[in-house]
Amino acid sequence: MTEILRTEQLTKRFQGLLANDGIDFALASGELRCVIGPNGAGKTTFISMISGHLPATAGSIWYRGERITELPVTARVRRGIVRKFQTPSVFDNLTVQENVELGVLASARRARDVRARIARVLELVRLEEAAETLAVNLSHGQRQWLEIGLLLANNAELLLLDEPTAGMTVEETAATGALVRQLIGELDVAAIIIEHDINFIRSLRAPITVLHLGRVLVEGSFDEIERNQEVREVYLGAE
Amino acid sequence: MRLTRVRLDQTDGTLRQPGRPRLLDGEAIAGTGVFLMLAALPAVAGGYPVYILPQYMLFGMLALSLGLLWGFVGVVSFGQAAFFALGAYTMGLAMQQTASPINPAYLGLAASLALGGALAGVIGYFLFSAGVRGAYFVIVTLALSIIVEQLAVSQSQITGGWNGMFIDRMSLTFGPLGEVSLYDDAPIYYVVLAVVAATFALLKWLSRATFGKLLVGIRENEDRLIALGVRTALYKTSAFALSGAIACLAGAFYGTHANFVAPSLAGVLFSTEVVVWVAIGGRGYLLGAFLGGVLVASLANYLSAIIPRYWQLALGVIFVLVIVFLKGGIAGAIAKLLAPRRRSPAR
Repeated sequence: MTEILRTEQLTKRFQGLLANDGIDFALASGELRCVIGPNGAGKTTFISMISGHLPATAGSIWYRGERITELPVTARVRRGIVRKFQTPSVFDNLTVQENVELGVLASARRARDVRARIARVLELVRLEEAAETLAVNLSHGQRQWLEIGLLLANNAELLLLDEPTAGMTVEETAATGALVRQLIGELDVAAIIIEHDINFIRSLRAPITVLHLGRVLVEGSFDEIERNQEVREVYLGAE
Repeated sequence: MRLTRVRLDQTDGTLRQPGRPRLLDGEAIAGTGVFLMLAALPAVAGGYPVYILPQYMLFGMLALSLGLLWGFVGVVSFGQAAFFALGAYTMGLAMQQTASPINPAYLGLAASLALGGALAGVIGYFLFSAGVRGAYFVIVTLALSIIVEQLAVSQSQITGGWNGMFIDRMSLTFGPLGEVSLYDDAPIYYVVLAVVAATFALLKWLSRATFGKLLVGIRENEDRLIALGVRTALYKTSAFALSGAIACLAGAFYGTHANFVAPSLAGVLFSTEVVVWVAIGGRGYLLGAFLGGVLVASLANYLSAIIPRYWQLALGVIFVLVIVFLKGGIAGAIAKLLAPRRRSPAR
């Protein structure tokens, strides 16, 4: 698989706090990668620099061979890098269908097949029956899916999902796991998922990067991570 | 083409696709009815109503310019009166160019459109690109009103200062085909009606186009839209430029209809009145904003005649009552009554 994203010595400093400390990271096209770590490990900071919501203090970000470190959010989105926030950020007072339509229009102002694309996205995120429902009236889990739908409608190539199952019921978490696997399998998008739910991480069967104190502690499969003594001490063992 | 797009484009036709948008929605139909009634009015009522209604319709057009900004983008401007007054002064100065080979009224109208659009575009570009939002934008537009009013006072050799400026009634010329005088009330009534109706139709069309939908997205969640790759500052600037051009054009017609413009037309008081019209009419609805301008201005005129000392107080009470009890304004309340209920959440 070809490399889609690479970070080199990516660093973020907030005055005295070193949130990310020289992170080297690589992601292949169509790959799903989970990023885990204790609170304050620098996970959200890491994807915020990739999405462009935070400027890097040092280091560089490469996307499909292009250096994008200094590009604004909108330019990165146009290249296919889109982000889901920790707290679902959708258009509350619009219907689910209108939300997805904005996702389509944001990426292709003159799209001719808007209705077909909306229907496809609603089917993917399992919100067809809620198409006419105001987003504010959706359950928390449905709002998370709707936000993922917005990203899909927006021509995503690289999804940055910050805690996509936060606040979900067990059933919703399982459905989200199935959704993510389907997206990776069917749509050939790559994704970086930040999560705290270890059972959800296990269910994804994806490579894992563990961050601790702003650095990459270890990378590997779930089994390798679970057996790693350092990870057990700083993260898994603490649970 | 990205694989994602290819796959999203694929549909086997069995999916329940979202409904096809209708050509005319309820507001467009109601708007058509309102403008048809206004068109029929001179046939049944002559005299004062035919004289004064164009001014109220132009106030309605001014309210439309704010309705575009406030209702669609969620940005309140207290500077609409400044654009309105600039349009009137521009028209006044143009009408003084009697030696012009081109109809000076056409010069005035074109210059008003260009001036309003350019000024609002420049102000909007610097403010929105710098991320100015909410109360800070309100303050800047408020300052704009004060600046224009002060300029109108201080540049008295051009504007007439506090004495104001007389503006002649315009006429329509069609080259060798002749001229239509608008000195009588009925012809200018229909010209103003046509301009206001065309403005309403343009804004209504824009609100249903991609441009309008993205403006609504900005109003609802600007940060989300930026995270979807939309350069929202450009859209907000475009909306403000269009709003400024409409307000300026309305002012140009107002000047030639009223035959007069004075600095108070740019003042903070009048700017505030425009906000009140739109709030009472219904900021989420173009027709609400328009009717708010027409009806509240008419009501203010009526109240100022019967209770000259307290009419502003009465208007203020109405404003507060609407804000407290009808947050979407009168149009919002009517729409709520007529609209089918949204489906309960499917969980």
